[in-house]
Amino acid sequence: MNPFGPNSRSGLKPYVVSMPIALIVGLSFAATDFLNRGNLSNLSAQIAPLAIATLGQLLVALVGGIDLSVGSVISLTTCVASASVGSTAGIALALLLGCVIGIANGLAVSVARMHPIIATLSSMTFVQGLALYWLPTAGGLAPPFLPAFINSTIAGLPVSILLLLGCVIVVGWLLARTRFGLRLYAVGAHPRNASLNGVTDRQIIVAAYAAGGLFAACAGVVLTGRIGAGDPVIGAQFALATITAVALGGVQFSGGIGSAVGAFCGVLTLGLMRNGMNLVGIDAFLQSAATGVLLLIAISFQRRTIIGF
Amino acid sequence: MPAITVQQTPDSQRAARRLYGFLSNQPPSWYGLGILLLVAWATRPALLSPLLLLAILKQGAILGVVTIGQSLVVRSRSIDLSISGVVVVVIWIVTSGAIPLPVPALVFLALLSGALIGTINGLIITRLRASAVVVTLAMAIVLTGSVVAASQYHQPGETPDLLRIVGSGRIGSLPIAAIVWVAVLIPFALSLRTCVFGRYLDAVGSNPTAATVSGIPSLRVMSITHIFSGLTTALAALLLVGSVSVGNTNIGQDMVLNSLAAVILGGVSFGSGKGRMLGPAVGAFMLTYLFSLLIGFGLGAAGQAMVQGAIIALAALVFTFRSR
Repeated sequence: MNPFGPNSRSGLKPYVVSMPIALIVGLSFAATDFLNRGNLSNLSAQIAPLAIATLGQLLVALVGGIDLSVGSVISLTTCVASASVGSTAGIALALLLGCVIGIANGLAVSVARMHPIIATLSSMTFVQGLALYWLPTAGGLAPPFLPAFINSTIAGLPVSILLLLGCVIVVGWLLARTRFGLRLYAVGAHPRNASLNGVTDRQIIVAAYAAGGLFAACAGVVLTGRIGAGDPVIGAQFALATITAVALGGVQFSGGIGSAVGAFCGVLTLGLMRNGMNLVGIDAFLQSAATGVLLLIAISFQRRTIIGF
Repeated sequence: MPAITVQQTPDSQRAARRLYGFLSNQPPSWYGLGILLLVAWATRPALLSPLLLLAILKQGAILGVVTIGQSLVVRSRSIDLSISGVVVVVIWIVTSGAIPLPVPALVFLALLSGALIGTINGLIITRLRASAVVVTLAMAIVLTGSVVAASQYHQPGETPDLLRIVGSGRIGSLPIAAIVWVAVLIPFALSLRTCVFGRYLDAVGSNPTAATVSGIPSLRVMSITHIFSGLTTALAALLLVGSVSVGNTNIGQDMVLNSLAAVILGGVSFGSGKGRMLGPAVGAFMLTYLFSLLIGFGLGAAGQAMVQGAIIALAALVFTFRSR
């Protein structure tokens, strides 16, 4: 089936793919520094945590949910991973916590039938408190091997971009080639039809949120490697950024439509816009306003059948 | 021949059952407030003094006014996360001094801008059928970003005296802010009970498709709730300016979360207006009281956030298990 067709479940509309390409072409003409090696490696390091967290948000959006707690999970991860100096235990614990928070979100949505916004809003607030409790102010020290690894290069390519591409490939494979992926689409598109065909939505929803939490924690680990310390509020922007990226990637929040490539294109668009505005020298606050306008335009193109949240 | 006996439920049992039905129908905020007052009575009796309760009522008025609009929006199956943006815009209008108009005109302009932002939200959500979460979040960043960018090279101006009087003044011992809250709350509560709009709102909330098929203008109803939400948020921001008298862009962030929490605690959930107007109002007061209590216990920002998150989850859990 044509992945760009109107009935495709990939959500890859022409604008989704053409936006990052147009930005790359435009920026390489408008800003001379854009194609600099330094700028490109900087760009990939900037978007790597966002891309990994966005893939988690994608899985949650595919089952018709939304995860507002990604930002808090990222903050908590940087705190946990950098509070125990020089050990891998902190990183393992952080990943475990991300997974547990995701499972709690999934159970609240699927078993307790709470609305995803309310369920993840409360976990977002709670986890933010937990992060502040773990590390009241920015500080701590990441295990020394982590920054060394994240900032190194393998065969001339930065590790952050390899991690990013690896995650995109894994999620793309998961969605296109496994039963789990097929069930995600089935539950997201029509839960009742899915259950009539023998797919129980509970397990799938819990698994989607758990994977979302795990990806958020992975993004937090990459971010810890990049900044080399913990910060209890560093993730605050990520909930909105991942939602923006997912929307720009043609993923529908009502569920069942979206793809890893689309989400990656969304991240690329967002990252290129920020990078370009930095290079051109646009004020940081106007940058966030411009991102908001872009999000409004992108979301207005997604006509849905339901109205409201 | 045995006489036919009619099994009659004893009056006392029936009354008990009715009492149980009544009690289990009350929103969680009433019970939460009761528990908080008991805890305060047992551990911090100073927090029960009338003077302090009135001070908390004054703080709660700001959240309470926002909650009115948010509860309407939530009842129509939408959500308003643009509150922080509206607050920033209103504060900028009345304190920046960039607009050379007398204070009453500025107040009018602030309310108008709130209504205008609500209208834009409503139009994008209903006409373009975009997700309300994303639209209102995007609106919040657009507004905050552009206002902060416009005002960062200027000193924040003085709060007009009129607003300072309304925000922190008192008539007798009653805070004016609390009077404003009640003065807005009562007309809303009464008109939702008596006017057609209240019926429409409940119909749209419980089943939008059925409401549309029955000829109810469900899109317009949802748009109107967003306009009301913009208006009440602007009013709350005016009260806020008067009570803290310093512009601060972070206060709006807390207001979004707290107003949603108050709505849920008040027994109002997406599409269900069971808690009416009073439930969320009590929820707003309960949350404000809770924060005072937590500060009294010496809990920092970390503990406050954790307790707040747990309480939202608990209220939502109570609601879902009750509605089964």
